[in-house]
Amino acid sequence: MSFDLVRTELTQILTDKSASVVEITPDTVLLNGPLDIDSLDLATLVVTLEEVTGLQPFREGFVLFHTAGELGALFTKAAG
Amino acid sequence: MSKWVIVSGVSRGLGHAITMDLLAAGYGVAGCSTTLSDEVKALQSEFGSRFFWQATDMGDSDAIEAFVATSIAHSGTPPWGVVNNAGMSVEGILSTLPLADIERVLQVNLTGAIALTRAALRRMMRTRKPGRIINISSITGSRGYTGLSAYAASKAGMDGFGRALSREVGRLGITVNSIAPGYMKTALSAGLDDKQLDQIVRRTPLNRLCELSDITPLVRFLLSDEAAFITGQTLTVDGGLTS
Repeated sequence: MSFDLVRTELTQILTDKSASVVEITPDTVLLNGPLDIDSLDLATLVVTLEEVTGLQPFREGFVLFHTAGELGALFTKAAG
Repeated sequence: MSKWVIVSGVSRGLGHAITMDLLAAGYGVAGCSTTLSDEVKALQSEFGSRFFWQATDMGDSDAIEAFVATSIAHSGTPPWGVVNNAGMSVEGILSTLPLADIERVLQVNLTGAIALTRAALRRMMRTRKPGRIINISSITGSRGYTGLSAYAASKAGMDGFGRALSREVGRLGITVNSIAPGYMKTALSAGLDDKQLDQIVRRTPLNRLCELSDITPLVRFLLSDEAAFITGQTLTVDGGLTS
């Protein structure tokens, strides 16, 4: 469920900035990978996910993640 | 639909003047302050739903978050801009200032402004549209003034915060600028006596103190589309005092 949301919002960000939309899987690396996004886009993605879900997986501090699946898992974990 | 601007510290002085000016220019304004002053009541009465107000302690980050969320629920749109105006001062020789007073000044003036900006930016960046952040700073932040060390530190911090943030959000078309007014005769400068104010006037090439009406048009300009290419700057409005 969380990964699907990551994919949806990420696709929206890529579309909004007129970047090429590639297939996003749980293993897709977010930064310095196949996606044309930078750290500001990633921050926008995280903020959007927090607003949409009402969850804050980084409330106690930043947790490292690299892939779309890892980001989704952090939200799943935050949901308890 | 009107563009909405969040303004902190609207109960009196410069914050009230900025709010009046923006409302008159057609903006919606979401304002906060610790007290519901007669001036705020008058704004509520005159401008109705185009002016939203909520009691908010700028030293309380949870209250700031709640204010931004409620104001956006009221306006129905993420803010176009934020004017970080709320501020307090503590005067005295540093070695005799209570640490609690120093911490309170930094919390309200600096951390509060950062928290308000953060909360608003979280909504603004999702829209991927331009926007404006304006920090009301002070010439004491760059020049200093005896007895205002903690206040000056908070304002210098505000300028540095704005410069860094302007680089961070520039790609979104969001500009971040500081306005550094010269000395004004407001409640905030109550710690300056008449002799000190006279001395400031004598040293000012334009031979007077800064007025509220010297600042409000600049805030309005920086919020406008015409100011889209100005960012990361501290604009001084002091009659040439620091030239």
